[in-house]
Amino acid sequence: MPIPVTIADDSLMSRKAVKRALPPEWDVDITEACNGKEALLAVESGKAEVLFLDLTMPELDGFGVLKYLHEHHAKTIVIVISADIQPEAKRLVDSLGAFRFLHKPLQAEQLRETLFEVGLI
Amino acid sequence: MNTLLSEDQRDALQELMNISMGQAANALARLVGAKVTLSIPRIVSVTPLQFAEMLNDTDVWYTRQSFLGHIRGEVLTVLSKTGCDSIGELMDYEVPLDHDALSELLLELANILAGACLSGFTEQLALNAKLSMPTLFFPENQQTVHVHWASTLMMEVEFKVEASQFDSRVVICLEDIAVDTLLQALNRLLE
Repeated sequence: MPIPVTIADDSLMSRKAVKRALPPEWDVDITEACNGKEALLAVESGKAEVLFLDLTMPELDGFGVLKYLHEHHAKTIVIVISADIQPEAKRLVDSLGAFRFLHKPLQAEQLRETLFEVGLI
Repeated sequence: MNTLLSEDQRDALQELMNISMGQAANALARLVGAKVTLSIPRIVSVTPLQFAEMLNDTDVWYTRQSFLGHIRGEVLTVLSKTGCDSIGELMDYEVPLDHDALSELLLELANILAGACLSGFTEQLALNAKLSMPTLFFPENQQTVHVHWASTLMMEVEFKVEASQFDSRVVICLEDIAVDTLLQALNRLLE
């Protein structure tokens, strides 16, 4: 069974960058979300066992998504992939229960290591 | 120029700017130990005349740097006069800043911001460009502003250090000839 994975980012280029960086052998079913609201919809409809989450997005930003998931004790594994890499963003993301905070531009090797640590590959 | 960029190319360019400016903001945040906020990048086409008009604000300092390589152009860093002492203090300068210390601070800030912006930008596009050292620029001392391009794609972002009431804008101007190279590199990222 492929793992349901959602990539939430308002930038088409960045969603493509995530898709390109995914390990080719990893069997996934990918859903794309352009904002935080779409990301939450994907979570609620069971399409996001793993959520790759951008922070700066319209409608609802990544912090809002994290807060909602945190408050609802969601089991989704969230990997934040952000252009805002300042210490304050990382602190907030950590406090909201994200599994990992990766920097843009995303490095395929770093993503692979992260997925390995979670036991997904 | 706006019509020259497809919606996807504009999105990609904006995201590349976000990423490289994020790196620049992080460099500055670590240096001053305070949070730095960023504006959404603005991407427009400008003529030399419009460029010259940007250079008549007396509330700011200006530095200019040129870059050469796969893409070429210049980087203008605009730094607010307010907040310089406060930033200087965070960066261990003796305040109030005297003339020499102020120049040094402005050039240091320009180098950090413009350097991180441009290197982040070109690395992601797998292009190379070498940035010259910044020099302070005083538009009021110039009769005309000399630029060596006819029209340009301009990318601008604003940094704010709210704790210090300081803000800065980095403006990257690409020479016309570099725009094609840029578009090709963008298309590779969108494949």
